[in-house]
Order: sequence, then C-alpha cells, then structure tokens
Amino acid sequence: MTNTITWARVKSPWVLHFNSGACNGCDIEIVALLTPKYDVERFGIKLEPSPRHADVLLVTGCVTQQCAERLKRVYDQMPQPKFVVAIGACACSGGVFEGNYNVVGGVDKIIPVTAYIPGCPPRPEAIIDGAVKLLNALNPPKPKKQPKKAEPAKEAAKPAAEPQIVVAQPEAKPVMEAKHDGKQ
Amino acid sequence: MANNEVDIVKVIESKFGSKVQVQPGLLGTAAINTNGLHREVLKAMVEADAKTGITAITGLDLGANLGVIFHVHTEKGFFGLRAEVPKEKPRLQTITDIIPGALFHELEVSDLFGIMFDGNELKGHFLLSENWPEGIFPLRKDVNPAEVKLGPSPPEEKIPEDKKIVKFIIGPQHPALLEPEKFSVTVEGEVVTKVEPRIGYVHRGIEKSAETRTYVQDVYLVERVCGICNACHAHGFVGAVEKILKTDVPPRAKYLRVIALELNRLHSHLLTLGHAGLEIGYETLFQYFWRDREPIMDLIELTSGNRVYASLMTIGGVRRDLKDTDIPKIKTTLSDLKKKLPFYRKVYTDEPSIRARMQNEGVLAKEDAIKLCVVGPVARGSGYDIDVRKDDPYEAYGEIPFKEIVYKTGDTWARMNVRMDELEESINIIEYALDNMPKGPFRVDVPRYVPIGEAIHRVEAPRGELFYYVKGNGSASPERVKIRTPTYANIPAFLKTAIGENIADVPPNFVSLDPCFSCTDR
Amino acid sequence: MAVDFWLIARILIFPGFTFILLLTLFCDWIERKLEARIQNRVGPMVAGPAGLFQPLADFIKLLTKEEIEPRNAKKIVFKFAPLAAFAMMVFAMCFLPIDGGSVISTSGFPGDLVVILTFSTIASFMLFLSGWASSNPYGTISSARVLTQFLGYDIPLFILALTPAFIAGSLSIFAIASYQVTKVVPFIIMAPWAFILFLITIQAELEKDPFDVPDAESELVGGIETEYTGAKLAFLHLTRDVQIVFGAALIVELFLGGPYGPVIGGLPAFWYSLWFVLKLLAVVIVTEYVTTLFARLRIDQVLSANWKIILPLAVLSLMLTVAMITWVYPVL
Repeated sequence: MTNTITWARVKSPWVLHFNSGACNGCDIEIVALLTPKYDVERFGIKLEPSPRHADVLLVTGCVTQQCAERLKRVYDQMPQPKFVVAIGACACSGGVFEGNYNVVGGVDKIIPVTAYIPGCPPRPEAIIDGAVKLLNALNPPKPKKQPKKAEPAKEAAKPAAEPQIVVAQPEAKPVMEAKHDGKQ
Repeated sequence: MANNEVDIVKVIESKFGSKVQVQPGLLGTAAINTNGLHREVLKAMVEADAKTGITAITGLDLGANLGVIFHVHTEKGFFGLRAEVPKEKPRLQTITDIIPGALFHELEVSDLFGIMFDGNELKGHFLLSENWPEGIFPLRKDVNPAEVKLGPSPPEEKIPEDKKIVKFIIGPQHPALLEPEKFSVTVEGEVVTKVEPRIGYVHRGIEKSAETRTYVQDVYLVERVCGICNACHAHGFVGAVEKILKTDVPPRAKYLRVIALELNRLHSHLLTLGHAGLEIGYETLFQYFWRDREPIMDLIELTSGNRVYASLMTIGGVRRDLKDTDIPKIKTTLSDLKKKLPFYRKVYTDEPSIRARMQNEGVLAKEDAIKLCVVGPVARGSGYDIDVRKDDPYEAYGEIPFKEIVYKTGDTWARMNVRMDELEESINIIEYALDNMPKGPFRVDVPRYVPIGEAIHRVEAPRGELFYYVKGNGSASPERVKIRTPTYANIPAFLKTAIGENIADVPPNFVSLDPCFSCTDR
Repeated sequence: MAVDFWLIARILIFPGFTFILLLTLFCDWIERKLEARIQNRVGPMVAGPAGLFQPLADFIKLLTKEEIEPRNAKKIVFKFAPLAAFAMMVFAMCFLPIDGGSVISTSGFPGDLVVILTFSTIASFMLFLSGWASSNPYGTISSARVLTQFLGYDIPLFILALTPAFIAGSLSIFAIASYQVTKVVPFIIMAPWAFILFLITIQAELEKDPFDVPDAESELVGGIETEYTGAKLAFLHLTRDVQIVFGAALIVELFLGGPYGPVIGGLPAFWYSLWFVLKLLAVVIVTEYVTTLFARLRIDQVLSANWKIILPLAVLSLMLTVAMITWVYPVL
C-alpha cells in the first residue's frame, strides 16, 4: 500500500512557482520547461496556481525583505507532504546580490529546502535533471544490473561529494497523515 | 545627437538670464543649474514644447548637500536640470502638477534619499520593505546597509467585508504574474474602480551595491537587473562609462552589439506575445510562440556562450567575436522564423477570440501617453512615435535602415501588433548587420580608473527606453549609478487604463504593457 | 428482502461505479495527450505505459495529502459539497443505457431524461456551493460565475435535449436511443442543427474553452478549487471529469444512437458497451479539440452569447424540428 502511495506521489508532483525577488532569468527557464522543447508534463509535473494544490515549491530569487514573510506564508499554506526546490544561484545563497540591503540571501534562511539547483540561470536541462534526481531520491528506482549503484537517499546525509545537486532527505515520510481540522 | 536644441536653451536664457547657468553638451543636450528655480524652468520648457516629459529624477549625495537632477526630454533635446538642497532640510517642490509622469520618480527619491517633495508626500515606504526603519535612507553615503536594524513587519491590512465593493489583491504569488508585486484592485461587481500598486518586492538594492563594486564587476551586476532585457542593461551601463572615458569603440564591435541587442529584442517579444496568449486563456498560442523562441535562444548561445545572460558587452567593445562559420547558421534560423511570422500575424488578425478580448480594451489616448511619459511599444501603440534608435541613434543604428512601427488606436491589440511587427524589423536589422559587418578589432583596452565625470546613455530595450546615468569619481568604482527602466515609466499608464474595465480584461491589458518588475524595482 | 448480488455487481463494477471511474480516468488521459499533441508536445509519459496511469496517480496522490480547512470556511458544506457533487454525477450516469440496459434498470422509465438533466444541474449547484463555502475572495467570485454560467446555459440545454425527444416521441432515454437505430437514422443526421447547438451548449455547461471563464487561472488563481486540498480536491477534479464523460454520454445517447449498433456475433451486451465507449471517445476527442483551439471569452461575452445567440437559436431549432416532424419526415 505504501508502495502505491509513494509511486503516486512521485509520478504526479504538482509544482507551484514562487518568485521571491528574482531577476526573471530562472523564472523564464522554469516557464520554458512547459514548452514543447522540454515538456515536463511527461513527468506528470503540472504548474498549479494555488499553494493548496501543490506538492513542490519552486523558489527563485534572492528573497528580498519584502518577500520573506510572503514566502513563509505560501510555504505554510501548502499541505503535507511538501518539498522545496531552490532554483538558481540567488535562491541557493543570494548569488550576485549577497550582502545588499533589502536582501535576505538564500531561501534556506526562511524555509527548509530539499534540493538546490545552482546556475545563473540553470539551463532547463539542469532543472529537469534536478527534478528527476529529487523524484528518484523519494522513490529509488529498482537497481539494474550494475552492482555499484549508490543509493541517493543515503548519499545526501553526508556532505555531497558531487557539489552540483544536493538532495537532502525529505522532511516527511510518505505515510498518510492524520487529518487536521480547522487549521489554516 | 539631438537636433535644434538651441531653441529651448535660447528660451531659457532669455527668460531667466543669469539666474540659471547652462552648460551645453553635458548630460545630453545641456545641463542647467536651476538654483531653486526648477519649477519655473520646467514650466517654461513645457510651454515651449508640448512633448516635454520627465525621463528620470536622479538623487545624489554631494556631501553636505543632496543633489537632484531632473532628466527632461523634449522633442528637440535632452536636458538635465540640477537642484540642490541641504541635508538638514531636504525639501523641494513637486513637479507632478506640471508633468504627472514624475510621480513615481519623486516617490523613489523620497524613499531612498529622504528628499521630501511638497505636494507629493511619501506615506510609508515606496520601494523599501515594510520593516525598514524610518529615517534611514540607504542611498546616502553615510549609511552602511549592514548596520541597519530592521523592524518588525506591520500587521496585515484587513480587507473589509463589504457586500458590494470587493477589494481583491492580485498578490505577490499569482499565476498571472511571473514576479511578485501587489496590486490592490477595488472592484464594484466586475468593474474595476481603482488600482493601487505596492512595488518593492524585487528591490535588491542594485544601485547602492554598484557603488562598492568595480566597473567591470558592475557590468555583470547591472546585467542581472532583468533576465529578459539583460543585454540592454549591460549596454546602457557600458555606453555611459565609455562616454565618461571618451573611448572610441571599434566599428566591428558596434555591429556585434547591434546583433546582440536585436537578438534580445526578438526573444523578448516572442516571450511577451506568448505570455499574452496565456493571459487570455489561449494556451496553444503560448506553446507555439515559445516553441519558436527556442531557436533564438540557441542563437544567443551560439553568439555569446550562454542562453540567457549573454554577457557580451564589456567596456571598450564586446567580449568575443563572431565566427564567419556561424553566420550561415544564424541566417537560416532567422529566415525560418521569418517564414512563420505571416501565420502568427494571421492568427492575430483573424482569430475571433483574440479580437474579442483585445480590441478596444485598455485604450490609452495619445495625449495621456505624452503626459504620463510612457515609452516603448506602449507609446508606439498609441500613436506617440518615440524610439531611441531613431531619435538618438547609438552604436550602428544610424547606419542601418529600418522602420519605426507605430499604431494609432492605443488598445491592447495595437500594442501587441507593434511587437509583432517589430519582430520582422529586428530580423531585417540583424541580417543587414551580418551582411555589412566591418572587419577589425572587436575590443579596445580601457583604463581601470574612470576619471571624474558624469554621463547618460539611453538604449531602446524591448520594453522601451532604458536610461542610465553614471558618475565617476576617479576611482575604480562608480560614485553613482542611476537606472530608469521602461516598465517604471509605464506602470502609471496601466493604473489609468485599468479603471472602468472588467476584471477579466485586467490581465491582458497588463501583459500588453509588458511589465518587468525586476526592472521596476532593481 | 433478498439481496440481489447481480444488481450489486452491476452497480459497483460494471457498468456501474468502477467502470465509470475507469472510463473517466481514461478520458482524462485522452484529453491530456490530445491537448499535448496539438500543442506540439508529448504529454504524460512516465506514469505507466505512455502515461496511461497519470490520472490514477494524480487521484491517489491527492487522496493522501493533508486536509486543510480554512478557519472561515463553512464547515459542513466545505466538507461534503465535493463528495455530493461527485455522487450526483455518478448517480446521473447510472440511468444511461450502457450495455443494453442501464445500471439501475433494464429499460428505464418514461421521463428519465428530465431526471438525469436535473441531477446534473444539482451537481453543478453543489460545485457552486463548494466554491462559496471556502469563503475565499477568488472562490466567491468564481462560484458566482459558475452559477451564472450553468444556470444560464441549462435553459438551451433542456430545450435542445427535447429535440430528440420530440422526434422519438418519448422522454425515455432508452426509447430515444433505440429509436435512432431500429426505426430511422441517428438524429445527428436528422437534426444536425440541434446537434451542433447541443455540442456548443455542452461545451459551456462543462466550462471548457472558450467558455472556461470560472476556471480562469490568470485572474482567479484556482477558481472554486482554490482552498481545497487532499481528498476533497480529488473529488472536485473527478466531478469535473465525470461531467465531461456525462456530457459526451448524453450526446451519444441523444444524437448518436446510444449503445445500439451492429452486433457481430457473441454477447450483445459486450457489443453494446463497445459501441458506447467508442462513440463516447469520439465525442470526447471532438470537444477536446475545440477546447484547445480557442481562447477564453469574458464572462459578459459568455452570457451575451447565451441570451442573444444560443437561446434564440435553440428555440428556433425546436420549432424547426417540430415542423420537420409534422410535414417532412412522414414523407421520407
């Protein structure tokens, strides 16, 4: 039963895109993912309008002071289980704007981040690669014939040898959560 | 350069005599020290030329005083009006009654420098965040941003539960907007009565941080004001610095810059045209436009090495040359795109749902366009024919023939059509530049320390006129960098055209203005 | 009271609940792939062969998400309106002849056409209630649009649905469907004007482009679904999908001869179900094609299209059909 649930969650990750003060470069590349050349609908990824419908929050931008609280609020509105992907150098650490006034710098100062995709901006191929790595970490595919396949979930616990994409352990185990009542 | 500027200068000299000092050839056509008479000088200019408008208002920290430069454009020239106020009592009189388009510029100077304009008082914060403390003005030289203590955020405003009038918020997170800004739209039923913007969500303090980085680092910083029109930002900065340095850019570099700028325009217009499709619920059109945008991104990658941030401009020329073996590839891609343009034009003209949604909506009359000082396709869609490439040619635009596209009706449909036609013009410009590219070096060496001086540079970005003011102080970092982006000038027009519309028409109207909030907030 | 296992099997498995659910998910997959191909893309590929299980994965994932209820929502309505809407739609489907008989009975009863149209109206009303109960400004405005739209378009829908009833001389769906095959040609050939108008009206009832105003993402974020999460959202989505299947099934029954078609040896029930499914898929493909090809109209344009164009044309079409019945068809 749990296998089916994990399978369903991994095959149907709905994303919400939030721009927390970005220059638009990463956002354009995210929107380009939906277009014919890259087409992430193959993976079941749908761009959702409302935070309540989404599983994955894609954050771009260096988190300006004005956006910091809104980002936290959007994150809180999403139902569990949820994941956060920080896209772009600015979202990972503040990028070029690190140290400016009005800039918090880095999404992980506000909300917990599951995956970082660096780049300025990262190519759509890199974003897809990061997304697929995140999905595989949640539901590792069955090992094929090679004997030395490393388990991505365990590897993330140590500091990543591969600095490109760090996939941390997702914060919620994929089990059915108790129903909440009257919680906003 | 502008022609016939002597008229306005003569008018001012005859009216004000020795009370003002005119420095011809500086900051455009001339710089005028107004000595407290900025309102009178501006009124005289407006009377002499009805097309006078404000391009930007730059604030400066001059030590004991705070300086203000009103960058004024007329049909016959481009002027800088200087005013100074002491730091203890920074008050100036507003000019919004003479030129309504100065509203946003004055509010920004109040917010960042602390100069209060009588008659246009700033309430709260305009660009800075809500938890920024009062009384500290970040762009003054004595303020170190690292030491500023941020206050707590003010409480949420309660939306009143009125039965009839609903105020709903097109908020920071919204599927229609790629970027966060807050627009409080007051509606009665389905009709919009007022739109109140709150900008500053993307304010990253670029102008201040440009003062602490070197000129070369600033090229890369300033490029990241906006991912879509990045080549134009880089070019604006580089052009201004080269004017202070009095560098002669080699002709080959000029042509290569033109190619980079026009490729930028192509991908930006395709982006907007597709995005407009999304707003009116036409996903298929959005997918088709973005599918055809990908070859242009491949071209940008071919010429510069990166898909989005071309980073081709550098002070003294361009960073790399164009190989002759690449030219056939560029030409094939462009001719493929050119063959698809008639299909898209037919869609825009014949498709009934597009015409139903876009024609006669969001009309901006020509007089309003002039008074609100709008720029770019928004102005050209209303019959106001300004285009920096024609009015004040830079780089190689003076030698390349092309048409300026102007539509007279001023509605959403006209603005989108301007962009559609400009696609073809851009392709023609690139092909001409490729055919007539001079040989020679593509870059010259420039000194690292820029002497004391100031210069302005204007670029026709895809969204309109982009304005840069750079002041050098002899060191390796600029003293002041001022950026006035086209969307900043166009948002007041949106606030006006949205009134009286259906809610459903607000997104297409908005997209036709082609907003880029990272440009607006910097 | 004896427990009729046969009836329970028919209700739960075939052609009842499970069949309707699987058919709905399959139609959802067809729609997504068709939309993707028209847009030059590929569509879902990873969940199952050629993405066949994508709608199933969406459904299961939504069932297991956390349920969040806003503090200001109206509790009971918020909790039960999506489920009620889904139940009404499935119940309405149960009256349609699928394999020669419907889920509930083998021959229907006179007037069941009116009954199922009423059920579908009630289901749409439940959708309106679910948007209103979430007390979110986007939900409220969107639910007002849903109400105006489906109430307005119900009138031409009823009138146009009466056209086949007039020709067949009966208000029973079974009679209408079998009349087309046993006595004359399907009504799509006999009354094509009614078919075209019915297609447009169904497109408006189902809130698909160019009439998908209540779901306008660019203005209203999520529409009536904005505040919903978890299982309630899953049922809202399912209701919409079952509505599409129901609309297509209505067209099949009223204009294309229902499940009745040539039986080429073997069990008639099998062939009837096959013809039903094939005709249904054809209609779904046509409506999805129309959806992708048009932009979205404004709400006032949608309403004026109704009152000024569709409704008068529907009345005219009914008059034309009655005239044809009285004077032309007896001659043919």
